[in-house]
Amino acid sequence: MKLVRNTVLTALMPFLCISTSAIAEKITVATVNNDDMVRIQELTEYFTKDNSDIEIDWVTLDENTLRQRVITDIATQGGQYDVVTIGTYEAPIWAQRGWLVPLDDLPVDYDIGDLLPAIRAGLSYDGVLYGAPFYGESSFTMYRTDLFDKAGLEMPEEPTWNFIKEAADKLNDRQNGISGICLRGKPGWGENMALLTAMANTYGARWFDMEWKPRLDSEAWNSAIQDYMYLLKNYGPPDPWEKGYSENLELFKNGNCAIWIDATVAASSINNPNESQVAGKVGFALAPDAGLGKRSNWIWAWSLAIPVVTQNKNAAKRFVAWATSKEYTQLVAREDGWSNVPPGTRQSLYQTPMYLQAAPFAEMTLASIKSADPNQPTIEEVPYTGVQYVATAEFQGIGTAVGQQFADALSGDISTEEALENAQWVTEKVVQRTRFIEQD
Amino acid sequence: MADPTTDPQRPIAEIDDEQLPVAKHRLHGAKHFLGLYGAEHVAATEFVIGAAFVAMGATIQDILIGLLIGNTLAALSFWLITAQIAVKTRLSLYTYIEHNLGELASRLYNGANVLIFVAISAAMITVSATAVRVLFDIPPQVHGYPTSFAFILIAASASVIAVLVAYYGFNVVAEFATICTPWLMVMFTAGGMVLIPSLNETLTGYTTLSSFSDFVSLAGTTVFTGINAQGEPGIGLWEVIGFAWAANTFAHFGLIDMALLRYAKKSIYGLCTATGMMFGHYVAWISAALMGAATASIMKLSIAVVSPGDVAYYALGATGFVIVIIAGWTTANPNLYRAGLAAQAVFPSIARQKVTLVVGAAVVIGSCFPFIYRSILPILAYAGLVLVPIGGVVFAEQQVFPRLGYKSNWHRLKGVKDNVPALITWAVCLVFGFGLNFINIMPFVYLFLPTWLVSIICYTILAKNAGADKSYPEAEQREQKFKQKVEAYQAELALKENKVPAKDTSILTKVIRAVWIVIGLIVPAVLAWRVLFNSPNLYDYYVNRELFYVLTIWCTVIYFVFAWWDLQRSKKTVQETDASLNKAVSNA
Repeated sequence: MKLVRNTVLTALMPFLCISTSAIAEKITVATVNNDDMVRIQELTEYFTKDNSDIEIDWVTLDENTLRQRVITDIATQGGQYDVVTIGTYEAPIWAQRGWLVPLDDLPVDYDIGDLLPAIRAGLSYDGVLYGAPFYGESSFTMYRTDLFDKAGLEMPEEPTWNFIKEAADKLNDRQNGISGICLRGKPGWGENMALLTAMANTYGARWFDMEWKPRLDSEAWNSAIQDYMYLLKNYGPPDPWEKGYSENLELFKNGNCAIWIDATVAASSINNPNESQVAGKVGFALAPDAGLGKRSNWIWAWSLAIPVVTQNKNAAKRFVAWATSKEYTQLVAREDGWSNVPPGTRQSLYQTPMYLQAAPFAEMTLASIKSADPNQPTIEEVPYTGVQYVATAEFQGIGTAVGQQFADALSGDISTEEALENAQWVTEKVVQRTRFIEQD
Repeated sequence: MADPTTDPQRPIAEIDDEQLPVAKHRLHGAKHFLGLYGAEHVAATEFVIGAAFVAMGATIQDILIGLLIGNTLAALSFWLITAQIAVKTRLSLYTYIEHNLGELASRLYNGANVLIFVAISAAMITVSATAVRVLFDIPPQVHGYPTSFAFILIAASASVIAVLVAYYGFNVVAEFATICTPWLMVMFTAGGMVLIPSLNETLTGYTTLSSFSDFVSLAGTTVFTGINAQGEPGIGLWEVIGFAWAANTFAHFGLIDMALLRYAKKSIYGLCTATGMMFGHYVAWISAALMGAATASIMKLSIAVVSPGDVAYYALGATGFVIVIIAGWTTANPNLYRAGLAAQAVFPSIARQKVTLVVGAAVVIGSCFPFIYRSILPILAYAGLVLVPIGGVVFAEQQVFPRLGYKSNWHRLKGVKDNVPALITWAVCLVFGFGLNFINIMPFVYLFLPTWLVSIICYTILAKNAGADKSYPEAEQREQKFKQKVEAYQAELALKENKVPAKDTSILTKVIRAVWIVIGLIVPAVLAWRVLFNSPNLYDYYVNRELFYVLTIWCTVIYFVFAWWDLQRSKKTVQETDASLNKAVSNA
């Protein structure tokens, strides 16, 4: 009898397999090719094991290609991707255009209340979450404790730009290859303009007033840019206009920077003795302010969102909930160690002793993320959201064009005044043209 | 209308020129057709068709090669099919149908033309209205139906004005259209050039392209991605070839362009259509697609619904409004006129005003529905399918019958009212063509080929049975006499009309011409060149683009003022020369 049953089952097996795979929903996830996203692809089998009715197909692209492909797909309602990786810049714009599925019905055990409020706000539109945060970051001040000690300086937990100027002056030692300060100088909306926009916010500057009139001609912008130029021209690394995030990271790890104000994500790398010459000699403080009540720390998150045109909404939602859950954090910690868990999204991570032990910069990262407010990024009222960018479709172009002007001023090709004048002109022109046609 | 050959007593001079073969002295050389076809195929439709290829998901390789092959096939079709028959008969297709296929066929044919021309006119007016919507703060019309009362008002008003102009001022607009061609060519090309750096920057972070392969890579990644608007693999090489070939089916296989090519001295001038095919249907389509994709990306809209007005504005600034309105208007004008004429031919007993009013009303309603202009490529392909059987019938009469020893003009010789074999053939072919489309066994763009073949075979068989292979000596003799009379009349006419074309060689004319060529055409082209090739970064790109926007609108104003002035002076010179020649003739 048993033999008969086994024979029948064996004979039916191919059909059973076909029938299982036939009912499995296949979802395509478009993502960016960074370490965290590569890791999740390796761990996806844990998800599919528990969700045998779902298959995952990954499309991994570099950031620019990803953005272009996904925009084209969503704008043309193509439906190629069921889950897309987007940042805090895109989330509110795309949500406003009705391209994304609201994530307002995630399962209870997802614990949406555990998400860090600033990150959640950056990925929301009208108070509704549209992108589940996978990884979050802010910016803060990283400094060499050994050099500070030697110079008899003490970094306050909440430094000001004036203090940074003084410290950079004292620590600058170009003869020994140490620059007083490293800051992003390479042009680009995500490079020098991320730092400069966040920095200008602390000086009371803003990109636009409430009537969308560009305000780069303001005294506040002038002060911020003057200080930025002063710092980099006098205490910055050689050819600072060529230094972006990656270049400064290398400089800092090689011991060529005394102070560096940049992304919190750099901390694990510069503190890793296997890759950094200054590991164990680095201190962390909040990003500086100008005494007006706003700090120059930004906020950014990569998140997973679901385009409205997907045919596999439920499966996509289940995957998104898993990939951004506490359970996934535990899985990464188990497989690759606590130092490799995606940071910056959940409060609970910063209450986990093992993580705090593996990441000594964690508390400062949390404080930085918490103090950034993408909904009120400036001192005066503004019609836009975003700390280190303006969450409008045309900002990418404007930001890069303006960044080019400041890089030119840094290299001495034009004066700072000219750069500001040009920045005001180009912003005005681009906004004039796009707003004229997009009024709807 | 009566067949002119049936009344031997009627003086030839009293017969409308349209009813007679073109006189030898009125034939034109290759230069005329090179210009004519260049103008004919650079219109507002190109904005829509370029974007349609993107929405249909063609790849860049298929576009570059497929359009080349498809347009070459179209030019060859104009040469080997249309021009051969046009040169042989020297008649327009409408006259040919009237003379050889009978009254009912003529009415039905004109009826089909009314529908097609009304659709094209409505589409072109909608295109113009999309440019105006921004000025009146009307939201983009992304659906197939209007979603704003204000847009309905704008589109309907534009239609009413267009209908009135076509009715009362057709000649002025037609004259104006003749000076638009060089400017349209420059602007279409410039628009694509101006938006390429912006498109490139969003993908690569750089505004410059270093080689043609960079361009192919950019267009392949951002514009012609191979994925259609539904997210599925798009059309392939065969479909691209088919669309390019079929876009003008009604003109070549359908023989509508006999009206133009009957003036050709030699049938090989049919190849002059290549200017229109290779510029309007190659450069302009690709350029329009680039503009459309860049605009869709900037506006975060689907390229399938982004309007020509927005595309033109992003690419050309204020000049963009002008190009869309002018290109739309100058295309709508002749089509409205043709629709009116065709409608009058269908209902000869109804007053012209009433017929025009009904046609106008249809255009007004149609222009409010954006789906018509967005479907222009399929509309053109299906229009071809409707009209191609008549082309097949005429081809059979003119190219097949002589080889079989049949009489080409057997219906006229036989003296029956209606050409029943032709009517049956048309009906059979419509069922056949649309039947093939229904069962979906081949891309609809190629349906015209089997349909055309079936029409030739079907008509040859039916016509033989109806008496095409018989002799009609008396009628043939009458025809021969009529032909001789026409030749004699036209020879006499040639003596009066044959004169050396007047040429205005005055300094002022040369200066006027230099102004519109240099300021109106060369300056915008150079400015667009600077935007594309002299924008090393995004800031420089915006500076160059702004300069292009600001200066090009003034160049446009200068272009039209001076080109119009030039045209009027040329006309005056011709009139004065005519007057002096007439005076000399009368004195003699």
